[in-house]
Amino acid sequence: MSRLDRRNLLTGAALGAAALALPARALAPFGRKTKRMLVVSFSGGIRTRETFGTPANVPNLMRLASEGVSFPRTRASNLGHFGATLSIFTGISEARGIRDNARGTDPTLFEYLRKDLGWSAGDVWISTSGGAQESNVSYSLHPEYGAAFGASSLDGDGIFNAEFKGVLDAYGRPREMPPEELALLERMRGAIGGADRERVEEAETAARVERFLLDELKRGTQDLNGIGAADAKALKVARNLLAVFRPRFLSVVLRDADVAHASFNNYVQVIRRNDEMLGQLLDSLRRDRELAETTSILVVPEFGRDADLNSRRGLDHGDGSDDFRYVTMVCAGPDFRRGEVVNEEVRTIDVCSTVCELLGAEARYARGARLPKLYA
Amino acid sequence: MPFSGPYPILPSAGSVLSGRPGPTVPESGVWRSLAIDLLGRPPLAAERAAWGGRARAEVTAELLGRVDFWQNWLEEQLYYFLLIDNFRPETEGVTDLPADLAGQKVGVVEALHRICLSSSFDRRNPGPDTFVSVVMEQLLGLTVQKLPRELEIGKRLYDGASGKFLGQAGSSQADVVHLAIQDPRCLRHFLAREYERLVRRAIEPKGLEAQARRLQAEPRAYPAIVQEWLASPAYEERLGRRLPLTNRLFVRTLFVDLQGRLPEFEEGQRLRSALDGLADSRPLRALVARLMLDSGQVPVPERAAIPDPGAWLSESFERLLGRSITAAESAEFQAAFADPACRPATVLYAIVSHPEYQTW
Repeated sequence: MSRLDRRNLLTGAALGAAALALPARALAPFGRKTKRMLVVSFSGGIRTRETFGTPANVPNLMRLASEGVSFPRTRASNLGHFGATLSIFTGISEARGIRDNARGTDPTLFEYLRKDLGWSAGDVWISTSGGAQESNVSYSLHPEYGAAFGASSLDGDGIFNAEFKGVLDAYGRPREMPPEELALLERMRGAIGGADRERVEEAETAARVERFLLDELKRGTQDLNGIGAADAKALKVARNLLAVFRPRFLSVVLRDADVAHASFNNYVQVIRRNDEMLGQLLDSLRRDRELAETTSILVVPEFGRDADLNSRRGLDHGDGSDDFRYVTMVCAGPDFRRGEVVNEEVRTIDVCSTVCELLGAEARYARGARLPKLYA
Repeated sequence: MPFSGPYPILPSAGSVLSGRPGPTVPESGVWRSLAIDLLGRPPLAAERAAWGGRARAEVTAELLGRVDFWQNWLEEQLYYFLLIDNFRPETEGVTDLPADLAGQKVGVVEALHRICLSSSFDRRNPGPDTFVSVVMEQLLGLTVQKLPRELEIGKRLYDGASGKFLGQAGSSQADVVHLAIQDPRCLRHFLAREYERLVRRAIEPKGLEAQARRLQAEPRAYPAIVQEWLASPAYEERLGRRLPLTNRLFVRTLFVDLQGRLPEFEEGQRLRSALDGLADSRPLRALVARLMLDSGQVPVPERAAIPDPGAWLSESFERLLGRSITAAESAEFQAAFADPACRPATVLYAIVSHPEYQTW
């Protein structure tokens, strides 16, 4: 282990140390200060070269790394964006179709946390930028887990586009429903289908989400535009979710860096914008003393990109190079070491087991290990 | 979380085959399911009136020949390939497909070919690795990770080099699509996913082989094959099982049910993409329904114009849920409606914001 600086990170990325295979199992998090977790899947395919290799692009990520532990030899899976992102949350590298618009069969991190720890839907959130496909990450079809233990999800670009606000404007705001009418409404809803009523807690969460959506539209999230707007919205939504719901587990899944296929410059622009929005999210978290003292943060891309530019002066992904296969993961939090670089090889699928262990859940089906040399 | 609760398993509506409604699923419920399956929306008022008492086979054949059946089919295919929003094909080769398919100028395989040759498909799947992977996965149902050599050959073709991809010679990006479309696995994969979409179960391998051979020999035979699926006992079972509406179908269904019309294309697309952004879209679905009902754009009858609340409630349940109201539901709703604070719009909102409404 060594202190964090750019040279160490890049040196680490060039090393091929074997993975440290710590067993993945749940331990009671006795004495841990971490009560909440923020996981950012810095996805869309991002090489270390454009992040820690070019610190000017990512001052906020650099600051986060200086406050925590960096793993520059984090091995990623070549499963396409969706499959690779999903593997971060399931701890299992399994082939998924690139355009597979379906849920996976392996339980996700969200499901482990909710089932083992008894957390409600309002405790566990995911904010995405990739639309229909990425909302599939929120829960699996596993018979022991599934929808009942999934994360509440919001897709920034899907909901908060200016066009959707226009549709809502066309209808006007809903009228206030008097309490007596509301009671009658609930009575009629409760009568449909006999005794199969939704759980009160879920109904309350749904009502809060409905209010959040209306408020968010008023906050102007839909007005973010330009290159990387979908990611920016996902990060802004996450910031507001943090303030409104104060979730115990919040995840953000980004995607816009994939513009790299056609333009290297736009790709760098997305990285810079995402770092700026991430900085705002982290500042918001740091300003809240309770959140700052109890929240751990983990940032990791799903995979990198090719070593060389393509004929369009963009960057594809899939050449099998180290630029593609290895990314840099950063973890920071009240229980972790500070300013350290761990050059041992770890994997993106280790996220699931590590987070579960940290929070006291058991990632029963995950195949990843706990991250080594993380704790202070 | 979404659809975590059990949904009513309704009895089979097989008696509708003979034109007689079943005991629990009324005839109107069968038409509702059939129309959503084939047209992607419930029947309009005129259709409900026109179909009453007719044999299902006759109505099915009529629907399968309509342009709006093919429009819905195309939308389903575009969604399958995730060619939505900014990636939606706008070229005539694709936008003309519903008319060309209804006019039997092309068959479904040619339609898939056109979709995958569109510039939108190329933009949606940038770069050789993504493009070839998607072609192999979505057209042929292959697991690319198990066929790394085939993937590499496909990528070489994409870049203009010659090679034998899927056992056939090719030398271009277009050849990658062309050779996949020609591969026998393409038809099998297409029929298997279409059967699952419509009948809600996996197709029997033996039947799949026979139907794939038939479609190979008769490229325009897809509607006839669907007609057979919808007349099968498996479809009768499907009618008895409600499943969640997709967001696209929910938006179209809500518009037809509340406003008596389909949404404008842009209107529907925006709402659908917004709903797609939530794992549990129920809060937003409820919000949309409430906004719509409160907007004044929904023709909700005045309380005074409902002389027989029991009959109105019964009709509303059949029209919106595709089933008869139960005695217990009728009693509760009538009691609530008797309260002056309950508006007709409150009743409609209670129904369309209930999880059961979000199934068909």
